[in-house]
Amino acid sequence: MKRSTISKLLAPLLIWVTAFVNPLFAQNKTQTADKAEATLGLAYSKKSDLSKTAIATVKARNEKGKFAPVAGVHVNFYTGEGDNTKILKNAVTNEKGQATVVLPKDLQMNDSMAFSVSAKIQDDPKYQDAEEKIQYADADITIKLDPNDSTSTINIKVTSSTKDGKQIPIKDVAVKFYVQRLFGDMSPMEDNSVTTDANGEAVFNYPKFIPGDVTGAYTVVAKIEDNDKYGNVEKRAATNWGIKLNVDKDPFPRALWEPYAPIPLVITVSVLFGGVWALYFYLFYQMFKIKKVAKTAGN
Amino acid sequence: MRNYVSWGLYISTFVFFIGISHSGTLVSAILRITKQEWRRPITRSAELLTFVSLLFGGIQPIIDLGRPDRIANLVIFGRIQSPLMWDVISICTYFAGSTVFLYLPMIPDLAMCRDKLTVCDTRFKKFKKWLYKFMAIGWQGTKEQWHMLEKTMTIMTIVIIPVAVSVHTVVSYIFAMTLRPGWNSTVFGPYFVVGALYSGSAGVILGMAAFRKLYHLEKYITSKHFDLMGKIVLSLTLIYAYLNLNEYWIPAYKMATAEGRLLSDLFYGTYSTAFWFCQFGTVLLPIIVMSFPKGRTTKILPIVCIIIVIGAWIKRYLIVVPTLLHPFMPIQEVPGSWSTYFPNYVEFSVTAACLAGIFLVITLFAKMFPMMAIWEVEEGIVIEHDKKIAARVKAAREATELANETATINQPA
Repeated sequence: MKRSTISKLLAPLLIWVTAFVNPLFAQNKTQTADKAEATLGLAYSKKSDLSKTAIATVKARNEKGKFAPVAGVHVNFYTGEGDNTKILKNAVTNEKGQATVVLPKDLQMNDSMAFSVSAKIQDDPKYQDAEEKIQYADADITIKLDPNDSTSTINIKVTSSTKDGKQIPIKDVAVKFYVQRLFGDMSPMEDNSVTTDANGEAVFNYPKFIPGDVTGAYTVVAKIEDNDKYGNVEKRAATNWGIKLNVDKDPFPRALWEPYAPIPLVITVSVLFGGVWALYFYLFYQMFKIKKVAKTAGN
Repeated sequence: MRNYVSWGLYISTFVFFIGISHSGTLVSAILRITKQEWRRPITRSAELLTFVSLLFGGIQPIIDLGRPDRIANLVIFGRIQSPLMWDVISICTYFAGSTVFLYLPMIPDLAMCRDKLTVCDTRFKKFKKWLYKFMAIGWQGTKEQWHMLEKTMTIMTIVIIPVAVSVHTVVSYIFAMTLRPGWNSTVFGPYFVVGALYSGSAGVILGMAAFRKLYHLEKYITSKHFDLMGKIVLSLTLIYAYLNLNEYWIPAYKMATAEGRLLSDLFYGTYSTAFWFCQFGTVLLPIIVMSFPKGRTTKILPIVCIIIVIGAWIKRYLIVVPTLLHPFMPIQEVPGSWSTYFPNYVEFSVTAACLAGIFLVITLFAKMFPMMAIWEVEEGIVIEHDKKIAARVKAAREATELANETATINQPA
């Protein structure tokens, strides 16, 4: 081909590349640059019913420049490592910036009996990609107590499973004790933490003054909190150690400031206004009689 | 309205109208029960004033709510121990009673209208004929019907007085049972009742003057009526002045912290002009003017009554608004506009519309029904005539007896 012919062919190609392809790349670059930075936090907890949950928290800078929770961000949860990585769920953050995944019971464990979970923000239109990974070993708390024990003593044992299914005790783990209340767990005393011994066991005595329900029942809670190796693990158990609650038979006695008025007031108001209205009805009856008299006279 | 002043012009107007509504009770019921014969030409207008002022006064709290549909909550979730609930019940009771009280003396007049309206050539006249016939409940003026009507009216006259007193007492309870400076008073009940009677009577005099002029009723509503009504208003103003003194002098002597702030604002602060106008212009001045017979004439008395009525309205505003702006917990760290209040154009427009509504209803009533109780006036003329004849007969008898006695004395032994 002649050089001029090649030039004629290349020229439109160059123009096309310059006009369309290059801006596309540029746009892509601009989009990445425009995306906001988001932070991703990941927490793990094991509940009393043995369910395991991973919660990812997404935060980004707000108008004031402070990090605040962001709703509506898609977060992908993964488990496993390397080629064995498996997606668990794609969840969307709520108004607290949290996306939750309930971990399956058959989580893939590594040789040291630990599992890993990762959370990723990927290809989000507003936020840059982010990733957070956690790795914890599975731990269990076993509670031993007598619900009617007058000493209010709770015995716990913290164990971990081996590959062959054996339970091995975990020593030197701090366990904190609480009482379950309506809006959360309350510490029964200032020092509510006990460390497990070589057998993975610990003992804690609940105070006597804790109010229970009408039968004196309340729920005790044993927790491993923010442990580097085991994350958050908790166990709950019911007891009858509490002070029995005295519930008034009538929670709303009749009073001016209660929903029901005092009887003398009800009677007074009813008699006064009832009396007046009774007289009104008598007057209506009299008017009716005036009309009736007229009809009789007409006949 | 503002966050701190949730009761503004509307509730002030509500209290004012409920006060005006006491006119019917005073003039009609009290004068009827005390057998004051001169009351006859003015009872109808007084009863009508009660009816319309209750009609438009009663809707003010509903307007003030901002969400009128929420009035249903009073029925659904109402608590009988709340003064607001007593207020609703007593106003409804008073309104029903006032309507009956207006209607009962109208029955013979409606029958007369029914019988007099013979030519019904237009649809409106046909409607009027039907209305008179329906409302006259077959009145024929038989002895039995008269007996029943008099009995019914006597009962109603006795019942309506305590009901009216209870209404304004309960209205005062709405304030007095709220822990606020200026409202925490034990004299609020009688203070409101007397204040209502005083402004209501002044309202009746204005009505009398208006109807006298418009319908040329000079023959029936005479200067004697103005003089007597003036004396009533004078005595009520004196009682009101006495209660006013108690209402302000006692807390002013103590000047307790929160109460002191309110009183300072009233005496020499934001509201001082209005406050002193009410004390001197609408209480002291009327007392001085009405104390003289020349101040109770047909020309002067209506002017005094206009001042009284305006003053009564301003007084209600002074009871409601300054107290709301002086709570026990001082207003602080809020936008400046929250700590002040003056009615906006919407509030003024709605209030003006209600006032116009009152005049409209009175005008329509005057077009349809007699503005004077014709049969009562006629009865009064007959009674007056009988009294004159009885006096003449008595005088003639006494003269005859005297002549006989003189003749006996002069007869030679």
